[in-house]
Amino acid sequence: MFRIRSRIAQGVVLGVASVLALAGCAGGNNSSSSSDGGSATSGTVNWWSWTPDNDLAAREIAEFNKQYPDIEVIYKKVPIDNYAAVLKPALASDAGPDVYTVNASGSFSGEAFASYAYDLTPDMEKLLGADWKSKVYDGGVKAFTVKDRLVAAEWAKVGAGIMWINKDMFDKYGVKPPTTMAEWESVCKTFRSKDLGCFREGMSGTAGFVVDTLHSIADSTQPDLWSSALAGTAKWTDPGMVQTLETLRTLSKNGILDEGSVGIQQYPDVNNAFLSGKVPMVQMGTWYQQYATVNSLTAALAGAGVPADTPKITIIPIPFPDVAGKGNPSTMYADPDAGHSVNAKSKNRNAAITFALWMGGTKEGQQVVVNNMDSFATLNGITPQFDKIKLVNPTVQQPKLEEVTKRLGEAKDFRSLGMSAQVSQALIDASQAMVNSDKPAAEAAADIQAAADAK
Amino acid sequence: MTTTTTHRPGTATARRSLSRSSRLHRPSGLPWILPAMIVSVGLLYYCIFYTGYISTLEWDGAAPLQENVGLANYAKMVQDSVFWRSLAHTVVFFVATFVVQVALGLVFACLLHSRLYLKTLYKVLIFIPVVLATATVAPVFRQIYAPDGTLNTILRAVGLDALAQPWLASGTMALIIVISVQIWQSTGVVFVLYYAAIGQIEHSIIEAARIDGAGDFRIIASIIWPGVRGTTLAIGILSAIGSLKTFDIPFLITGGGPSYATEFLGTLIYRVSITFSEVGYGAAISIVLLALAIGAAIIINTGGRRGESNV
Repeated sequence: MFRIRSRIAQGVVLGVASVLALAGCAGGNNSSSSSDGGSATSGTVNWWSWTPDNDLAAREIAEFNKQYPDIEVIYKKVPIDNYAAVLKPALASDAGPDVYTVNASGSFSGEAFASYAYDLTPDMEKLLGADWKSKVYDGGVKAFTVKDRLVAAEWAKVGAGIMWINKDMFDKYGVKPPTTMAEWESVCKTFRSKDLGCFREGMSGTAGFVVDTLHSIADSTQPDLWSSALAGTAKWTDPGMVQTLETLRTLSKNGILDEGSVGIQQYPDVNNAFLSGKVPMVQMGTWYQQYATVNSLTAALAGAGVPADTPKITIIPIPFPDVAGKGNPSTMYADPDAGHSVNAKSKNRNAAITFALWMGGTKEGQQVVVNNMDSFATLNGITPQFDKIKLVNPTVQQPKLEEVTKRLGEAKDFRSLGMSAQVSQALIDASQAMVNSDKPAAEAAADIQAAADAK
Repeated sequence: MTTTTTHRPGTATARRSLSRSSRLHRPSGLPWILPAMIVSVGLLYYCIFYTGYISTLEWDGAAPLQENVGLANYAKMVQDSVFWRSLAHTVVFFVATFVVQVALGLVFACLLHSRLYLKTLYKVLIFIPVVLATATVAPVFRQIYAPDGTLNTILRAVGLDALAQPWLASGTMALIIVISVQIWQSTGVVFVLYYAAIGQIEHSIIEAARIDGAGDFRIIASIIWPGVRGTTLAIGILSAIGSLKTFDIPFLITGGGPSYATEFLGTLIYRVSITFSEVGYGAAISIVLLALAIGAAIIINTGGRRGESNV
């Protein structure tokens, strides 16, 4: 009897001990931030982001350390396609980054991760004054303010709507950048006769670079229709949008868009092919101007496994051709590309805030970002210092890059702000259907509208 | 004359009492396995039930606000054409990989049980793909099948330009490629299982069959194949569950495209949970995946046992 009771007692004790051990393994209370946040001028700050490239981040951190030598910033670049998947569990745990970059919209937007972010409003007011909103890009204020909380400090603005060409290839075969559909067909015929590609785009994956192509075609077809559809004041089934989808199909059928686009990704496939001189044209945004510089192009080629002695190509931006033939001017559209959120659970929160606000809120931070050439400034009045930037072919490239800077300043439409992940996916699906099937454009447009209505 | 059976008084009683006594003295194992059981079984079932709970929510996985929507996520799944396509791809994937892997695994195992030089080298070559991480081999296959990749380069070099195509841009070809990569990567495991199973078959039976004039194919069909039935059943269950769980190969090579042509339940769960932040809907698909896995295991197991009893 005594032994039976003893065994039961053993079982109860061990069971309770196991449950207590399991409870101890569970996460602690995640709702409150750490008590004082540590020092604002020393400590280690872990920064996660999909942008910039490692070499550019190193420059930005080095510049930061000139002012704050006792704050060590450790950068972790996460591929854009995996960023949301990696960030979510990290922030839910106690081992997440101190600073994490967020986008204007989509699966890793400031809004998507707002519940983990520290409100930066008081610190921003301290840095830039009570009228700070008038000193920065208004798109970023809109994108990164969630329920009156500033969940991210914007530091990068990007634009799209331009194309990038390999000027050396165009010069070699004596062709000029196309401005119409007919010219584009002729240019591509020339390149294809030399067994080269022409306009390559990666439609596989969820990054959705093809959405920029659709946006550009839509602006050529019917200006303002795209932004109206995004805002919900026009339908994605509008005849102008159906024609936009049909024009994309035409690009594929008429030998402009390279075959196999639905099976390749913009990064790394298209990017590597273009930078290593295999294709003459891609559609990328202003972030691509970094590869007009010697340092970034060298690093990118090394990353693509291209031999170091491969001649550096001269890339220049050109306006998107008038594919609709209606004389509508080529447009650029911009977005706040990146903002720094500070993890409310960070043990080095104050140092994290210092870094987060430095990059977007100070002249020094913004100048190094802009001089890296992969982003534009969100702080008013900061432009690239071309005398400090080593371009591959400055005579040819600098005027074009200055023109893009001017055009971006005049851009009034947003690129993806206000676009849900579902609508973005529906646009990608429609694009794939246009180049890879006989699905009627009207049907594809209806699918996009259904995705917009579902949200 | 009557006989009486005598026994020492109290012997049966003594035996019963001894047996009970020895049971009483033998320590119970339960307290000692309880911690491990609580961790493994408890965590597992906690996760399952928590996923079931999340499947009744409309939630983005991060926000403090969670809206209870009952079975709405399941109703959405029934109407989701991508879900049904994913299921169809899973069935095709299972049938194709199971049949080909069993055929190849059995053939390799039979060959390597025969007299052959460099047997160890062949075993290593067959098994190497199993130990390679999918994340490492996926970029290689993407490069092979790229429009200007290795396969098209070879085809053009040998004058077969007409066959060169953007392989991953075709829905049918993309699915075949995903299936072929799975077969390439997992046949080694099937081979190892069959190799061990064939080793258990009585050699004398095979010798007797040879003496009776049976050829190689006859021996495989009539002795080896029935003899490895249990292994085939186990491979079937593992293949079914593996097919339902398929994620890494389609995700890394095709991203589930083009146009969802290589979408599987795993990639769909990832897409809706991470890209769309519809964690509740993703959880609902996960619960259905679990139910399908259990159902598949029961069906295959029952079918296998029925087959055994019919023999």
